[in-house]
Amino acid sequence: MLTADECARYSRHLSLPEIGVVGQEKIKTARILIVGAGGLGSPASLYLAAAGVGTLGIIDHDRIDLSNLQRQILFESTQLGASKADTARARLLALNPEISVQAYNQKLTADNAVQLIQPYDLVIDGSDRLATRYLINDVCVILRKPLVSAAIYRFEGQAMTYVPERGPCYRCLFPQSIDGMVPNCAEAGVLGVLPGVFGALQAAEALKIVLDIGTPLLGRLLTFDALDMRWQEFKFTRRLDCAVCGESASIRTPQDSAAAGQSRVALLIERLQPRALHARLQLIGDPPILIDVRENHEYSVSHLPEAINIPLRELSQRLGEIRAAATSIFICRSGARSLAAASLAIEAGHPSVAHLEGGMLAWAQDIEPAMVVADALKFN
Amino acid sequence: MQHKVKIPSPLQSYTQGASEVSVAGNTLREVLAELDHRYNGIRFRMIDEQERVRPHIRIFVNNQEIPAIDTTLLAGDEVHLICALSGG
Repeated sequence: MLTADECARYSRHLSLPEIGVVGQEKIKTARILIVGAGGLGSPASLYLAAAGVGTLGIIDHDRIDLSNLQRQILFESTQLGASKADTARARLLALNPEISVQAYNQKLTADNAVQLIQPYDLVIDGSDRLATRYLINDVCVILRKPLVSAAIYRFEGQAMTYVPERGPCYRCLFPQSIDGMVPNCAEAGVLGVLPGVFGALQAAEALKIVLDIGTPLLGRLLTFDALDMRWQEFKFTRRLDCAVCGESASIRTPQDSAAAGQSRVALLIERLQPRALHARLQLIGDPPILIDVRENHEYSVSHLPEAINIPLRELSQRLGEIRAAATSIFICRSGARSLAAASLAIEAGHPSVAHLEGGMLAWAQDIEPAMVVADALKFN
Repeated sequence: MQHKVKIPSPLQSYTQGASEVSVAGNTLREVLAELDHRYNGIRFRMIDEQERVRPHIRIFVNNQEIPAIDTTLLAGDEVHLICALSGG
């Protein structure tokens, strides 16, 4: 039953024949989990709270940083350093005190994903790591929960919806990816309003599924290019050989799915922390080859003295310049491009490949605090 | 036969920032070869050494999935290269 205040608050929904009192009561009893209180999670959670979703869960282990405020509209300048999940909860309850909000100040992992997702009817993926995206997808398939997924990069975004038994899952679309093969927003930037577009879209999809109205994005990848201001839609189908929703699925538990997020290639890459690399460079004999895969302009600002420069975009043509007999250690600004470079080297048959975790930024922080590391964005 | 090819943001560093290029070819394979001829190395980011589309890449012709890279293209067909994105 809706209270008098709720009838007033949701009057514009009640006027819609597709929603009405019955629909608003469905929204009131719905339980939706939002993974990530970031660019996507901010608008998605605000709109779902405003719409009257009875129980919202919000997972984020991070704290509010000044660089978040360009797009994460849940937060304010006075809240820097505060927990994102707790701050989001307070903001959503201020917007709508009629609802209940659970804040999970923790990281979604293979160990806790089932427990966290199980109590909810639907999940919104607003995470910013591919490994988390696959974990969420796999757990939603295993637990038979609808999932509304979106992702953004620079001026471009994409969205799709999974509903059990009704269409393909995220792994049917992209069977496998590894963080590093795809650069992230921290590395390449993102238009601040873009997650606003996609987070709002995720909220709309979630409400449609709760209400069982309209046509969700099932088997349809929706893409948007803000520079061209163009939406496009691509049809894709369920893969019979999908590792999680296919006919002989190999992923049956979240532990398996976390491992499956790491391809054979990724497992062959040695991940060096700055101190480990520093120690390796002090050893005498059998020196590794250091390859800095940043753009020439970034390399010219600062680099390790032993490092040669082969920008990532030239690497597949220039792998022959790297002596395969020695260990190749790839380096970039923050560790994304170097991981992609290391994957290319492994695939090309290099037997011993490593990359510097956290890139030159981590090196500067741990080893050479006076080092200036060029901003990648200036040179795109 | 010339075809419009849409380049995903993560690979636009190869095309000097261009999001769309016009490439000749009668099959998807020929279009990808010509694309690589013009933008050295871009094909390997999408197709592995076993000639499989990489699992974080999807290639659509117009808005449909393509069964194989030997797919024949018709006049006016647009090739869309889509890359998994991770940002949130």
